[in-house]
Amino acid sequence: MIVPLGHVFVLAGLIFAMGLVCLVAHRNLIMTLIGVEVMMNAAAIAFVAAALRWQLMEGQAFVLFILAVSAAEISLGLMLVVSVYRRTGSIDPDRYDILKW
Amino acid sequence: MTSWLQDASLMAVTLSTWLPFISFLLIIVFTRNQRRLSAGIAIGAVACSLAGAIFLLVRHWGDSVPIQYSARWLVTGDVYIPFGYLLDPLSLLMLCLVAAISFLVQVYSVGYMAGDPGFSRYYAFQSLFAWAMMTLTMSSAMLQLYVFWELVGLSSYLLIGFWYEKFSATQAGKKAFVMTRLGDVAFFIGLLLVLLHLGNLEILEMNSSEAAAHMPPGLLTLAALLIFGGIVGKSAQFPLMTWLPDAMEGPTPVSALLHSATMVAAGVYLFARLFPFLTHSADAITVFLVIGTVSMLLASTMAMVSRDIKRVWAYSTISQLGFMIMGLAAGSLFAGSFHLTTHAGFKALLFLCSGVWVHLYETNDVYDISRRGGRRLKIPMACLVIAAAALSGLPPLSGFFSKEVILEALAGLRNPVWLAAALLGVFLTAYYAFRLVFIILFPRGEVQEEPNHHRMGTLYWAMGCPLLVLACVTVVLGLLQMPLRQFLSAGIATHQDSGHAWLFSLSVGLAALGVGVAWFEFGRRAALQVGFVERMPLLKDLFAQRWYLDHVYRRFVDIVIDGFFSKACTKNEDRVINKSIDELSHFTLDSGDLLSFLQSGKLRYNLIVMFAALGLVALYFLVA
Repeated sequence: MIVPLGHVFVLAGLIFAMGLVCLVAHRNLIMTLIGVEVMMNAAAIAFVAAALRWQLMEGQAFVLFILAVSAAEISLGLMLVVSVYRRTGSIDPDRYDILKW
Repeated sequence: MTSWLQDASLMAVTLSTWLPFISFLLIIVFTRNQRRLSAGIAIGAVACSLAGAIFLLVRHWGDSVPIQYSARWLVTGDVYIPFGYLLDPLSLLMLCLVAAISFLVQVYSVGYMAGDPGFSRYYAFQSLFAWAMMTLTMSSAMLQLYVFWELVGLSSYLLIGFWYEKFSATQAGKKAFVMTRLGDVAFFIGLLLVLLHLGNLEILEMNSSEAAAHMPPGLLTLAALLIFGGIVGKSAQFPLMTWLPDAMEGPTPVSALLHSATMVAAGVYLFARLFPFLTHSADAITVFLVIGTVSMLLASTMAMVSRDIKRVWAYSTISQLGFMIMGLAAGSLFAGSFHLTTHAGFKALLFLCSGVWVHLYETNDVYDISRRGGRRLKIPMACLVIAAAALSGLPPLSGFFSKEVILEALAGLRNPVWLAAALLGVFLTAYYAFRLVFIILFPRGEVQEEPNHHRMGTLYWAMGCPLLVLACVTVVLGLLQMPLRQFLSAGIATHQDSGHAWLFSLSVGLAALGVGVAWFEFGRRAALQVGFVERMPLLKDLFAQRWYLDHVYRRFVDIVIDGFFSKACTKNEDRVINKSIDELSHFTLDSGDLLSFLQSGKLRYNLIVMFAALGLVALYFLVA
């Protein structure tokens, strides 16, 4: 392994943080979904790095699961966005304060 | 299992039991729309099974040591459940019987079911049935036998309710399934008892003297009685007998199969299979004898007044099965299994003969069949007479020999009541069988000409050939008594004939008397064709209503199940389950209302708080 494990984890952490910012800072549901995707990919990077470090295949297998789950999640998420847009005419999460009631 | 290709017996038994299952899958998946192909596949598969069964019978003729093949199927903890085959004279004979009857019935069905919209489905179910029954006969352990026992129940449910658009057919199928299940629950509890004390359910081990050594005598009796419960359900014996007459709603070939070699025969076969185990305890034997006798007599009386040709044979099946159980309980394995064999032949013949008329005239009523010229169909008429004579136990047909063996076994018992009851049964059997024959042979009133006698053509021969084969079997099988006795009792000490010459003449005399009474009331020219029972309204009602057994069950279900249990369950659901769920959700909503001042309801703030909390938790773990 040429790159030290720590560096890869730092990269994964950075990407995760970027996803987090994307998730909470944007006032757009689609951007929220993209943020979730980015965070999942950060986790995937950490998995691959760990798999390489300890020479175990499970980490790489997990990445395949993450890919499949994120594909399913994005299609479901977009569907929800569409339906929420039809209900309220907006995709700004701040407008949905019915969570309180 | 390594060398199963080299071992011809194992290969033959595997192929003959699994081929019908393969044909079932093929028909269900691929050939549902191609009728001829479906029938071809099913008949071909069962023909191969028959060939395999005959090969095995010839190869192992005279072997005294049973051969057992088994492999691990499931393992849980210390218990492992084997899947295997047990080859001994009894199972080989039964395999042959099942394969032969299935084959003949399937050939016959080509004619009977021609033009039915569910033709392929019918053959698929027939194959399923054959597979289940054959594997049941060859099972080496009780749990495997139980699994296939239930599969036999399932496939007969499917076939009885085959014409599912008829309400009565679905009802009959359901009744058959539920009533046999009642017995099966007892059977399963019995098996669990044995498993707890013996550690496994291998048939050979249960039959050895070890079982008696491992279980206290009281428990042994209990287990035997519980297992017998399964036999009572499957073989339609006394308390659970009413499903069998209703099962006549299915196509007639199905009835033939159900009543001769499969379904109901499975019960008696199980008895014979576990013969040493079940006959350990004298108390249990008395119960078996009582139930066998009661079913035999009750069913014969029901058959005396029925006008429905198929129902008469259904009642006679119950009574003949009761007869077999009496023979087995009297301590003669050979008596029961020999009668099972011969009965399979002539009962299939009776049903298939009746099927020709039912198919042609589309009526089950005996008088109707007679009036419309039933006797002009030569093959079924001749075969029906042969089969009825065999059923009544007239020499030299097969039924005569097997009944003699049973009577002989019963004569060996100390209590003469059983023998007397059996002799009464012989008389009644001859009476009701020939009542029906004479009604069809000598029609009263004007005979309607049937224009469509010729419309069947080749299909008539598809139905006729199996009849002729079965008739030959019925005539010949009785003469094979000695070789079969030697074959079946290989390894077991045979008890010698004790010479009951008077018994032979008495039983033949009684059967002849039965035929004579039937002739007097139905056959001779001046006869009114009204039986002596039918002149007594009270008795007639009792018999025609099947001793009011169904009414009793109905009342029981109404009062106990509907009136008490289901009411209690409804109340429980309303008052306890629904109410507690309602309360719980109200509580959740109310507490949510109470706590909602803590948050703004905005998605992003919630997310931020969540991640902040997670971060703090992570920090805590890093520091600690």
